Amino acid sequence: MAVARYIKDEKDQILDVILESGIHVKSSYSPKDLDAMGFSYEKDVADPGEYPYTRGIHALGYRSRAWTTRQYTGFGTPQETNERFKLMISHGQTGLNVAFDLPTQMGYDSDDSMSEGEVGRVGMAVDTLRDFEIAFKDIRLDKIGSGLTINAVASIMLAMYQAVAEKYGYDPKVISATPQNDILKEMVGRGAWIFPVEPAVKLIGDTIEYSMNVLPRTNPVSVCGYHIRESGATPAQEIACAILIANAYIDNVLARGHDVDAFVGRFSFNLNVFGNMWEQVAKFRAARKLWARNLKEKYNVKKPQNLFLRGLFGGGGYGLTKAQPENNIMRGAYYALVAALSGAQTTALCSYDEAYTIPTPHSALLSLRTLQLLMDEMGLRDTVDPLAGSYFIETLTKEMEQKIEEEMDKINKFGGIIEGVAKGYIQRLVARQAFEVEKGLESGELKKVGVNIYKEGESMEVELHEYNWESAEKQIESLHAVKRERSEKDVTRTLKELEAATRDGKNVMPYLVACCKAYASVGEMTGIFREIFGEFNEPSLF
Amino acid sequence: MELVDKVLRGDEGSAARLISMIEEGRDEGYEAISLLFPYTGKAHVIGVTGAPGAGKSTIVDKLAISFGRQGGKVGIIAVDPTSAKGSGAFLGDRLRMRNAEKLEGVFIRSMAHRGFPGGIAKATLGAAYVLEGLGKDVILIESVGSGQTEIQISMICDSVVTVLTPDYGDEIQLMKAGLLEIGDIVVMNKTDRPGAVEAAKDIEFYLMSHKKQHWQIPVLTVEAIQGKGVEDLIAALKLHRTYTVENSQGSSKKKENIKRLVLAIFKEEFWGETLKKIQDKAMFDDIFQQLQNSTIDPYKAVRMVMDLALPTE
Amino acid sequence: MENKKNMKVLIAKPGLDGHDRGAKVVAQALKEAGMEVVYSGLHRTIDQIVNIAVQEDVNVIGLSIMTGAHIPITQKLFQKIKEKGIGDKIVFVGGVIPSRDVPKLKELGVVGVFPGGTPLAETIQFLQSISKKG
Repeated sequence: MAVARYIKDEKDQILDVILESGIHVKSSYSPKDLDAMGFSYEKDVADPGEYPYTRGIHALGYRSRAWTTRQYTGFGTPQETNERFKLMISHGQTGLNVAFDLPTQMGYDSDDSMSEGEVGRVGMAVDTLRDFEIAFKDIRLDKIGSGLTINAVASIMLAMYQAVAEKYGYDPKVISATPQNDILKEMVGRGAWIFPVEPAVKLIGDTIEYSMNVLPRTNPVSVCGYHIRESGATPAQEIACAILIANAYIDNVLARGHDVDAFVGRFSFNLNVFGNMWEQVAKFRAARKLWARNLKEKYNVKKPQNLFLRGLFGGGGYGLTKAQPENNIMRGAYYALVAALSGAQTTALCSYDEAYTIPTPHSALLSLRTLQLLMDEMGLRDTVDPLAGSYFIETLTKEMEQKIEEEMDKINKFGGIIEGVAKGYIQRLVARQAFEVEKGLESGELKKVGVNIYKEGESMEVELHEYNWESAEKQIESLHAVKRERSEKDVTRTLKELEAATRDGKNVMPYLVACCKAYASVGEMTGIFREIFGEFNEPSLF
Repeated sequence: MELVDKVLRGDEGSAARLISMIEEGRDEGYEAISLLFPYTGKAHVIGVTGAPGAGKSTIVDKLAISFGRQGGKVGIIAVDPTSAKGSGAFLGDRLRMRNAEKLEGVFIRSMAHRGFPGGIAKATLGAAYVLEGLGKDVILIESVGSGQTEIQISMICDSVVTVLTPDYGDEIQLMKAGLLEIGDIVVMNKTDRPGAVEAAKDIEFYLMSHKKQHWQIPVLTVEAIQGKGVEDLIAALKLHRTYTVENSQGSSKKKENIKRLVLAIFKEEFWGETLKKIQDKAMFDDIFQQLQNSTIDPYKAVRMVMDLALPTE
Repeated sequence: MENKKNMKVLIAKPGLDGHDRGAKVVAQALKEAGMEVVYSGLHRTIDQIVNIAVQEDVNVIGLSIMTGAHIPITQKLFQKIKEKGIGDKIVFVGGVIPSRDVPKLKELGVVGVFPGGTPLAETIQFLQSISKKG
């Protein structure tokens, strides 16, 4: 089941509701439903801040601290990005979320032939430390955390973040970066992969291992069910994949002989909010519970705070439409409500114009305001997990928990998440479901306001920023200037050391930091990995 | 014919076009094949068959690279199934051959089997001729890979590699007899899996005790993704090649095979042509109407259609 | 089994962008509509795409471009198509395409433009009408 279904009679009365994850919704719920499921408040839910954390990871929830807002920023040149950072901070944004252009995401320098026409297009171009020096100038890196939307070369970007912080006089121990650093989801959904599964996961293990001692406030991995959902997964599959992917990273670090409690507390999640709102709330509640149980029972995690599912619940990109785009403002508000009702620690919304353009400062601000007014006007900070105890929500949460476990079993039967991604089992599953959804929209079985119902009204014209060849040129010039000024001797030496460490299977992080400090380029460092690791073999669709 | 000259001069676009003509069953395509035919027969045509997911494409990819490195000019024909409902097909093997694709001079052509039985398309043989005309001396053909015994692939290939994995325990038992019929070399892929070595030994023992010809089918263990065992496979293929050329049993098998293939294609063509001729006749519909009304039985209906198609004079 | 022309389509993802939900949905829809579909996979250069189009002798090349780089990419494609002498291929483009760019794309030689949100039926109908003409 991948498409939500409403079974109706000829008078439009709803006879049955089947959610995307395959759960049937009844016309009403009562204590009997909870009894039938063997519901126990202590075991299934418990108070906020108590295991299994269904109701949230903190006893006081938003009373102690409202959520962190982290709208996606970063485009064009590092200079423009720096200006946008400062603007969003002045508007009250409490965290940064950096977007990188495609060449950077794929480990190519701005002057590479593969980068032509893409430099600075969908995010900030980063070639060397010089670019980070400009982008993070005058930003208090000890006070504000940065999400880095980067995966295949997240190790390099994290190293560069440390290098820039040190350059500006910060102790690495006080800085807080959250690189996305989830390569398995790239292979399923977003496509910004470079290396084969095994070395790609090893690099993630390196960042986790390294952060333990050197970057203790950094969240080295942010597991993204988000993009798997965007690619066509159901909410239950989104969580199933996220937990299994997180486990794959845990296993990699455990195999190096570390204690799970020493690192797993820094894991975070990035989960999606679009879809049926009850299903989403139940999903987040069930996810917290399953993650805690997974860590406790499978990995024997001891410290309670390490059992917390922390994360960014937000986005909702696939839910937005190009048709009647102002509707996306309302959708965004409801998505934000879902995130707040689900106890998100960090959130961000896709801007209403994202379906047809790169968000303007105005639309990004609207999203931020949407998030702020929920907390400050609507009373979402008043009490923790306000939907708890609803016969419906508690039943649905338990059903969702079962569905997620079923999906995990399915993937495990296939051979596990790594095998499933390497062979394309997950990719085929979500691609097929995405097609089902599309057919549902065309047949009218699925309803989307402005798309296949209530279509009257204007559709917005897609507006794209004119590609700025000039600033691309400038970026390339700046790279060449750095290359002229840097010490070739240092670059060659640090790159050689990186190569040797990579071949020897050592943790590459200290070597990457040294390369970054010597102004080696992203392309040069990635080139070494490409040479040694090779490339991911994209599985076929069918 | 200009197209044929262009193919012989190595023009990829013309070769590709000609293959399409054969797929479409166009007369000029067949005429071109007649002209190309004298130039063929020297390439080593290798079939790779096996169940879905056995790793056929990966093996073809690795073989192409190894042959290429040794100076071979490689052509690849990858056959995918046409959907059971309708004429659509997803030609996905190519995506798993990205390493071979990057090699200069490797020509890859995907084709849908369009309902032809036996793991290949009707145009696959023609495509092999075209690729040889284009100058390829090693032609790798990846079969549909239905998991069934794909007889037809052995009719157009000099050597057939059957790829198995330890994942298919029970199926392997069923496939043993088929191996004797179509396989010249058996590859046990994914030898990192538990039970692989045992499965390979089991098959080896079976093949030894059921030896029917001078060629003893070797069972090789390969880990295709890592490239392990590929060189051994190439050596075995070359050995088999020598056997088919030098051993009278080997060459007579090939002659017998080509006769079987002609009959197979004849059957398909004859069926297609016959159906075209009779399906618009009023009587044709009438027969099925009677069948639906249960006024005649299915065997009677068949005899009536036969009379319609081949009226006794 | 009958002899006939069947539409063969290459769905290609040029460039570095990896968002392939749309491309894969279209690929599945075309298959279901009875066409033979080759999918290029991600991160392809124009040279590679044209090479595939030549060897596969497809009738149609569909490009999926989400980054906004559709004009330079399409320009490059037609340049390469000309070089290789396969001007008979029908080219359509999908993805994030502003309508003001449609005339420019058509000028370059693109026959159909199907921005995200175009009903699948429309794309299929377009290709089928072309195959009848061809």
